[in-house]
Amino acid sequence: MKKKLLNKAEPYIWIAPSVILMSIFIIVPIFYVFKMSLSKITKAGLIKGFAGFSNFEAVLTSAKFALVLRNTVIWTILVVVLSTVLGFILALLLNNEFKGRKVARAIVVFPWATTLVIQASVWKFIIDTDYGALNTLLKSLGIINTNINWAPTPEAFFAWEIACGIFVTIPFVCFTALSGLQSIDSSLYEAATVDGANYWQKLFQITLPLVKPSLTVATVLNIIYVFNSFPIVWTITKGDPASRTDTLVTYLYKLAFYNGKQGEAAAVSVIGFLILLVCASVYMVSTLKKGDE
Amino acid sequence: MRLDSARINWGKLLTRILLYFTVVLVCVFILYPYFVMLCTALKSRAEIFSINGTIFPKEVLWSNFIDIWQKAPMSKYMMNSIIIAAGSTTIAMICGIPAAYALARMKFKGQTAFLGFIIVSQMFAPVVLLIGIYKVMMSFGLTNNLLGLILINAAFNQAFTIWLLRGTFISISAEMEQAATIDGCNRVQAMFRVLLPVAAPGIVTTLIFIFINAWNEYTVALCLISTDTIKPLTVGINIFNGYNIIEWQYLFASSIFAIVPVVILFMSIEKHLTAGLTAGGVKG
Repeated sequence: MKKKLLNKAEPYIWIAPSVILMSIFIIVPIFYVFKMSLSKITKAGLIKGFAGFSNFEAVLTSAKFALVLRNTVIWTILVVVLSTVLGFILALLLNNEFKGRKVARAIVVFPWATTLVIQASVWKFIIDTDYGALNTLLKSLGIINTNINWAPTPEAFFAWEIACGIFVTIPFVCFTALSGLQSIDSSLYEAATVDGANYWQKLFQITLPLVKPSLTVATVLNIIYVFNSFPIVWTITKGDPASRTDTLVTYLYKLAFYNGKQGEAAAVSVIGFLILLVCASVYMVSTLKKGDE
Repeated sequence: MRLDSARINWGKLLTRILLYFTVVLVCVFILYPYFVMLCTALKSRAEIFSINGTIFPKEVLWSNFIDIWQKAPMSKYMMNSIIIAAGSTTIAMICGIPAAYALARMKFKGQTAFLGFIIVSQMFAPVVLLIGIYKVMMSFGLTNNLLGLILINAAFNQAFTIWLLRGTFISISAEMEQAATIDGCNRVQAMFRVLLPVAAPGIVTTLIFIFINAWNEYTVALCLISTDTIKPLTVGINIFNGYNIIEWQYLFASSIFAIVPVVILFMSIEKHLTAGLTAGGVKG
């Protein structure tokens, strides 16, 4: 009897350390964020009673929030979509047999392995108007004579941040797609060639459907990571001027740690989470539906 | 096919040239920021800010790489990064291996709920929870403390650890462990003696991946650590990225020290890692 009980309890003992670790450092913070979003909070960060939805009201009615939300959506969609397309094309290239393929693969790893804050600093240096590397390069090659201002407006800066985001996300997509590509049985292509299929037919009717599971995983992870990405925008512009390059995460960081509005910052966190939750549910429902077919 | 090869197939040759051309172009593009970093790290401050800048340094200043160790507590930063990355990896593995084992080898109530919980936990990046994390750390007295940072990194890497290891364990047949149990081993012994040695490549991949994640982490460290001497490299090197003056040469020289170890580590696991990530997803 005692042994039976122990057998039943055994799996829970095995997962206990992990559950405890995640509970304290992920679940409790989640609980705090939700609680704080509904609380009155002093400048010093002390919780002073229930505030209803006043934090949400303050966030949603502020003129900046709509702008920040729009930036976040543009940022997430452009980075995820473009890096997926470009990463997939790069994977198709690297899937060919050619000399130096190993070297090329090793080079593509670079942006994936480099910490974002350093990548962002380099790009900030490259696009600088007065002494940036891009102007120096173009002048040395004789393409331009005078320095070009690569980021004359906040929107231009934001576009560079998006470009930087794409640059660092491509390797992840590329390698997940590549592992999908390499698991495709080459006899499928041979059969298709015999049947007279051309390159594009093979690409859309064999390759894409078979790589789709890998790409879906990569895309879902990317949506979450890109949406929550902080270092690139923070390093290049800090979301300035006047939130015109802010995304949700940089905005909430400033609210919490610069402006002492922790309640509102928590509300922004909750809104961000809800948006991601909706996206994830849409994805899960659509994959479950496919499973039923 | 082979019979044709005596004749030059122009179409094929053209695709070949196009392929090489594109790959080289992409590689040059990817390496460009690193090239800029290295060239700038070797220039003097005056040269970086001069009106007639050149691509390569006119005078190569290797001394920048030495100066940074005096201008900033680089050795401390380096040590902190190592402690954070190694500590996070250790804790993440100690907690993650048994959990992944239970998920791969046992059936229990709440299994799906646990997996679902792991996936949902991925949706909360630390940055979104920073305010909550800060509160938790305050109650433990772990703000501005390396241990706090280690625990946060370990917790937020649990999902990946369990995901990757579960995939590895599932791909290994349970028969050997069962045989070992018949020979009188208990489950823990069977895991340590039979499963873990076979799963070593998957474990090493996971280990290195977490190490790199923790080494590269920036946001939580930026928020929690305020004392200069306990900052990791990612945060510490911004000492050269001042509000008014940016010492680009030092910033990039120190950046290179932060990049090189992890790039090498990453290259060693890249193949295993991507296979593990997608396999876990497809089987999920």
